[in-house]
Amino acid sequence: MENANLIGLSRLTSLERELGVIANNVANTNTNGFKADGQLFEQFLMPVARDDGFAGADRQMHFVQDRGTWLDMSPGTFQQTGNPLDVAIDGHGFLVVQTANGKEAYTRNGALQINSAGELVTSQGDKVMGDSGPIVFQKSDRDIVINPDGTIQVGDATIANSDSARGKLRVVKFANEAGLQKQGANLFTAPAGVSPGPVDANTHIVQGAVEKSNVQGVLAMTRMVEVTRSYADIAALMQQQDSTRKDAINRLAEVPA
Amino acid sequence: MRALQTAATGMMAQELNVQVISNNIANMRTTGYKRQRAEFQDMLYEHVRRVGAQTSDQGNQIPAGIELGSGVKTVATPRIMTQGTLAQTGKDYDVAIRGEGFFKIQMPDGTYAYTRDGSFELDGQGRLVTAQGSLVQPGITIPQNASGVTISPQGQVSAVLPGSTTSQQIGQFSLTMFVNKAGLQSIGDNLFQETPASGPPQDGTPQADGFGDLQQGNLEQANVEAVSEISDLIAAQRAYEMNSKVISAADQMLQTSSNLMR
Repeated sequence: MENANLIGLSRLTSLERELGVIANNVANTNTNGFKADGQLFEQFLMPVARDDGFAGADRQMHFVQDRGTWLDMSPGTFQQTGNPLDVAIDGHGFLVVQTANGKEAYTRNGALQINSAGELVTSQGDKVMGDSGPIVFQKSDRDIVINPDGTIQVGDATIANSDSARGKLRVVKFANEAGLQKQGANLFTAPAGVSPGPVDANTHIVQGAVEKSNVQGVLAMTRMVEVTRSYADIAALMQQQDSTRKDAINRLAEVPA
Repeated sequence: MRALQTAATGMMAQELNVQVISNNIANMRTTGYKRQRAEFQDMLYEHVRRVGAQTSDQGNQIPAGIELGSGVKTVATPRIMTQGTLAQTGKDYDVAIRGEGFFKIQMPDGTYAYTRDGSFELDGQGRLVTAQGSLVQPGITIPQNASGVTISPQGQVSAVLPGSTTSQQIGQFSLTMFVNKAGLQSIGDNLFQETPASGPPQDGTPQADGFGDLQQGNLEQANVEAVSEISDLIAAQRAYEMNSKVISAADQMLQTSSNLMR
């Protein structure tokens, strides 16, 4: 009977972790560029648990283990904001940013700003990388236009009636997007040894829009209902086991007077 | 239970979101108001099982690890500094900037503030001041009994003085530009102040070097779009509701756990 309790406990702890994943998704329904997580379960063949009351192959006990969280890389909806520094990537791809410790990180959050040195940065202050280093704007630049291929043109006030180029946004693609790690602050990092490649030809940048979170509220809610009901079911099962044991102790130990 | 704290961060973030939206809607008719937008980020992840870690000597790698997030936080409420529409008022001292630049105002304590609100008046000595009474830089004084005050798009203030029939220039507006307008700090009264994030102020004349031009008799309306604010408000409210449902689900599960032991 201990096996039943332990198996139930393994399910309860993994359900609790799944609720944590769902809660993180729901908390981030309004975060730009956020990608939802899903939870995977597997049966875990517990090597030292056996129940010899069963025949042959059924003797091994299977526990529940959460195997991993997977990244749902489907695109979120695009919200038109009209802000010239907002970019959204239509297709598979990430913007490259340089974090404070010099490492490269990737993001889909295109709500960009300009810092006091004129560099293009994220709202966290990390520099956005162009093909040849960070993108720097001059003080007199206005009417920033970001073309679908990532090239940036400005109306340069020092040269009358002409546009100047300010570089090209570096957009990269990973062969295995689900293998990326989330760092928080809307950033992804690649595991060691994985480097990105160039984007597909039909991926382009949309200026004046941001990509919203791809969390689907309805799915999160229904999965949450399933999780809570599963939890209650397993708990009821464990209670049943407990009362069976109590009964067994009481009845079997009864010595007729 | 981790889900409780995570959902709490979600609710707090949406509360701030609604606050920012309500401030925008409250200031829909404020001259020179620039709308704000709350921006969120996900927080640190606990990597219970690292992606790419090796599972055997043959070099098998884990294709997907376990990452548990801890919710959402607000990272910034930047101002969207796009041009608002110009509304005609017909008043002589109402000026709107069409393009880049801010008016420079001298505060009572001597420091400078910047604004897009061009609803100016004259004080007792004929100097051009804001509605709060602060002087407009670089200091424009309209002589008594002057008539026909005009402000050209280049910022030249001209008037017809008594004893003459032609218009003479009596002052010049100057505008100020910043590298990062969104980095300016709001101090209320439609005024902004420079910060290290905005970069140093750059003074100049209207319609030169990338500055916008001035339009007399017009005022710049707020750049708040009612439709997008209301739809953002609906999204924020629903996100708040969903986070509260997560809290009650976690609460139910905790209650079920505590009822296991009778």
